[in-house]
Amino acid sequence: MRLILAGVLAGLLTATAAQANEMVFTSWGGTTQEAQTKSWAEPFAASSGIKVLQDGPTDYGKLKAMVDAKNVTWDVVDVEMDFAIKAAKDGLLEPIDFAVVPKADLDPRFSNEHAVGSFYYSFVLAWNKGAVSGEPASWADMFDTKKFPGKRTFYKWSAPGVIEIALLADGVPADKLYPLDLDRAFKKLDTIKSDIVWWGGGAESQQLIASGEAAFGQLWNGRVFALEKDGADVGVSWNQNLTAADVLVVPKGAKNKDSAMKFLAAATSPTGQTKFAEASGYAPINTKAKAEMPADVVKGLPDAHVDGQINLDMNYWAEHRDEIATRWYAWQTK
Amino acid sequence: MTANAFTRQSFAGLPAGSGGALPALTLVGLFFIVPVVALLLRSVTDPEPGLQNYAALFGSGTYVRVFLNTFLVAAVVTAVTIVVAFPVAWMLAIMPPALGSIVFGIILLSMWTNLLTRTYAWMVLLQRTGVINRTLMGLGIIHEPLPLINNLTGVTIGMVYIMLPFMILPLVGTLRAIDPMTLRAAALCGASPLQAFRRILLPLSLPGIAAGGLMVFVMSLGYFVTPALLGGTSNMMLAEMIAQTVQSLLNWGLGSAAAFVLLVVTMVLYAIQLRMVGARRLAGGL
Repeated sequence: MRLILAGVLAGLLTATAAQANEMVFTSWGGTTQEAQTKSWAEPFAASSGIKVLQDGPTDYGKLKAMVDAKNVTWDVVDVEMDFAIKAAKDGLLEPIDFAVVPKADLDPRFSNEHAVGSFYYSFVLAWNKGAVSGEPASWADMFDTKKFPGKRTFYKWSAPGVIEIALLADGVPADKLYPLDLDRAFKKLDTIKSDIVWWGGGAESQQLIASGEAAFGQLWNGRVFALEKDGADVGVSWNQNLTAADVLVVPKGAKNKDSAMKFLAAATSPTGQTKFAEASGYAPINTKAKAEMPADVVKGLPDAHVDGQINLDMNYWAEHRDEIATRWYAWQTK
Repeated sequence: MTANAFTRQSFAGLPAGSGGALPALTLVGLFFIVPVVALLLRSVTDPEPGLQNYAALFGSGTYVRVFLNTFLVAAVVTAVTIVVAFPVAWMLAIMPPALGSIVFGIILLSMWTNLLTRTYAWMVLLQRTGVINRTLMGLGIIHEPLPLINNLTGVTIGMVYIMLPFMILPLVGTLRAIDPMTLRAAALCGASPLQAFRRILLPLSLPGIAAGGLMVFVMSLGYFVTPALLGGTSNMMLAEMIAQTVQSLLNWGLGSAAAFVLLVVTMVLYAIQLRMVGARRLAGGL
């Protein structure tokens, strides 16, 4: 209710837009946006003289409402890639000006006409060493409640990841995942439904694992990286790690489009990507970035675990987003 | 301050003091009526004119389930809140005023603390590895952690705690207005304490229970944070579902329709409640 009202109000009232030498960057808050501010926004402001105002968290409903109302206050937004593909199709995004943003070194998996990579990450299997006896080695182990009793935690929302994990655990080969067999996936998930604790955000996933509330789960690798850095006793398996990406987009009708494109150039540059990866544990989407990074950082990135790595199919998800979500929530609320 | 005096005042206040009420009315008009109308319009125009959003809403087992669940949770929370609040309100009503105001302060204090903080505190207390389960297991009372979170139990505990002041406040008002002599008279006539409660105190406090109950019920219907953090997905409430529909699926039309249906149902319940309380009061007065 509150959210709807806020959205409607956003359309009714003229929000304060950024001035000529300013632009607004919106991301997900927390440690990720802090790292983006330090690695991209601050150096960019210093070199270009364009002040970058921070806003957030990213809210797709709000983005659409802004574009529909032709009152866009966000200039660059960090979004999930499957959303970006769908949003481009729905006409919500400006095309990227590749005359300003150098394209040559960008990982082609994570960039397209309307989006450039922000960073990429993997879903990995992480566990609390104190709460699990033995070492879970594959997604199939997360579905084996006899061998590995205890609660397991998965991402709550309908998004690339959990469906694929269920299918892999059920024995579907990695190259036969798509098109997704939803019936089979939900049947597999049914077998452990009462043992699942859902996490709705990164901090929650960390809390569940660190406290042992959930013995193990599907986590973003950056969140596990942060747990390890804090000295938590966690184990991690990169077996069948599933890659997905966040991308940077410019909403249609953004007021500071030119500044936005310059910002994208800085954010996706080798230096910007290196700095961000060092701060966050997420992987750079610029193929030149790794050369600039210290060896111990490179070791913790999804890049170091390409063996058995599976790319979640963002195009498939963009195409079937609504259909899967309908099934997902019907199953989840049952 | 009885419940009806309260509602009557706000209605009767309209014509008499409309000058003074103008800022409040403007506020309500601008920030409630206008968005609600916009909401309604959106639900019948997005993505195209027609009632397809409502058809989708009632045709979807998911939404119907979430609707029913939302009302179930609100009803359970309201019932438990009444039971818990009544003794507290009674104690406050008969306490010496000085002591009463201290207890009152403590109750109000909880309302000044951030909702999210309080809900997180419950998570820490209720989870499997939380304070309550650890203590009980340490004492050897239980051997397996009790499922206190990610289910209806967790939502109920968390929400009752937050709703208590909204129940206690109107109840204290009603209870204070009851003449203590009526209870003494009942005792003199040979009524047991239970009889006096059932036949005298309870009927006389009904307006307070109704006012508080309605407030708690209606507030519970739209709750977001507490059910999201303390409930499981099988107890998903409407607010969370609407948020998902709008934020992730960008389906403003369907989200608006769901919000509007919730609003209408709430208003209908409110109307029924007003009539019922009025009728009961009449019956009690005879």
